[in-house]
Amino acid sequence: MSAEQEPRVRSVGELPQHVAPARDLWPGIEARLHETSAEEAKPTSRPVRWGLPVAVGSLAAALVLGVWIGRGFAPGPAGPTLSAHPMAAGLELLDATYLPDAQYRQQRDALLASLDSRLAGLPPETQQKVKADLATIHDSMRDIQSALGRAPGDALLGELLINLYHDEMRVLTSVHDTRAARAET
Amino acid sequence: MVSPAHAQELDWEAALIERARGGDTRAFERLYRSHIGRVYGLCLRLTREVAMAEDCAQETFINAWKALKRFETRSSLGTWLHRIAVNVVLAKRRGIAAAVQWVPQEDCDEDGRVVFDTPIEVREIEAAVSQLPEGARDALVLCGLYGYTASEAATMLGLAEGTCKAQLHRARLLLRQRLDREGLSHVG
Repeated sequence: MSAEQEPRVRSVGELPQHVAPARDLWPGIEARLHETSAEEAKPTSRPVRWGLPVAVGSLAAALVLGVWIGRGFAPGPAGPTLSAHPMAAGLELLDATYLPDAQYRQQRDALLASLDSRLAGLPPETQQKVKADLATIHDSMRDIQSALGRAPGDALLGELLINLYHDEMRVLTSVHDTRAARAET
Repeated sequence: MVSPAHAQELDWEAALIERARGGDTRAFERLYRSHIGRVYGLCLRLTREVAMAEDCAQETFINAWKALKRFETRSSLGTWLHRIAVNVVLAKRRGIAAAVQWVPQEDCDEDGRVVFDTPIEVREIEAAVSQLPEGARDALVLCGLYGYTASEAATMLGLAEGTCKAQLHRARLLLRQRLDREGLSHVG
């Protein structure tokens, strides 16, 4: 092409705004989009905000209490369900999903049913401590259940919830054992 | 005023955006096909390197895909993509530790138009623009070539408007010097 045939412009604004790339960039973009979609589809480990530290704190408290009190739990007769206890209000929805073991649930219900009467026999400071621990655990459970409502497939949240049920069981067992030990002495 | 043909095009684009938001990559490909020229053109002029311009253009569309849910259809997709492209180019430059050029902030009134007294070959002026220093080139490409106001270009570049105008002023001076020196034209 001769110099006379070259396109000419009178201003920078007349330069072509569109410039076609020498190769098709779409295949590379498309591959990345599919990667992105696959990553989004994976269950994400969402931060649980205060739930996790609170749960860890309650676990430590429950363990200390458990060691102090000792063991010797024997489950009582089946009683009202967990959700029937005022402290655990609103926690029934996911029980069957995350606690499929019927025996475990029965024991837990029994412990909750006898909780108030067993607490009444303990010193006021111990009662206060147990109630505070359980309240913390139940608050954490509600937070996690709420988060699970938004992300039902989140494996980490499910695991945290199961851990909280275990923490709760430790506290309930400790109360039961303490009361039993005091009755024997 | 928007012409009926342009309005129809915008409706069509809005429909494609909606489908792409729902995860339809075919719809997003249509958007890519209609905008890649302007996005790549901007990336190439800002980076001056084909490989980097290609990377930046790809990154622009990937970022756009991720952020499409936040895009408001009443604004221009082309402008939005250009904003993303400028961000991508600036991030790449930071990544390669480009030297920061200090430009005095002047109070000048630059409208972005860069006019020559005689027509110049496209390749000559493209070469002259590509040899401008980074900051001046950014301002000239965005304002002089793509028609953004100094204020819009400043926002895209993360600069004060006055700094952007000063860069534009500097670009015109340097362009004039170069074209005069080569006897090609005079920049008005």
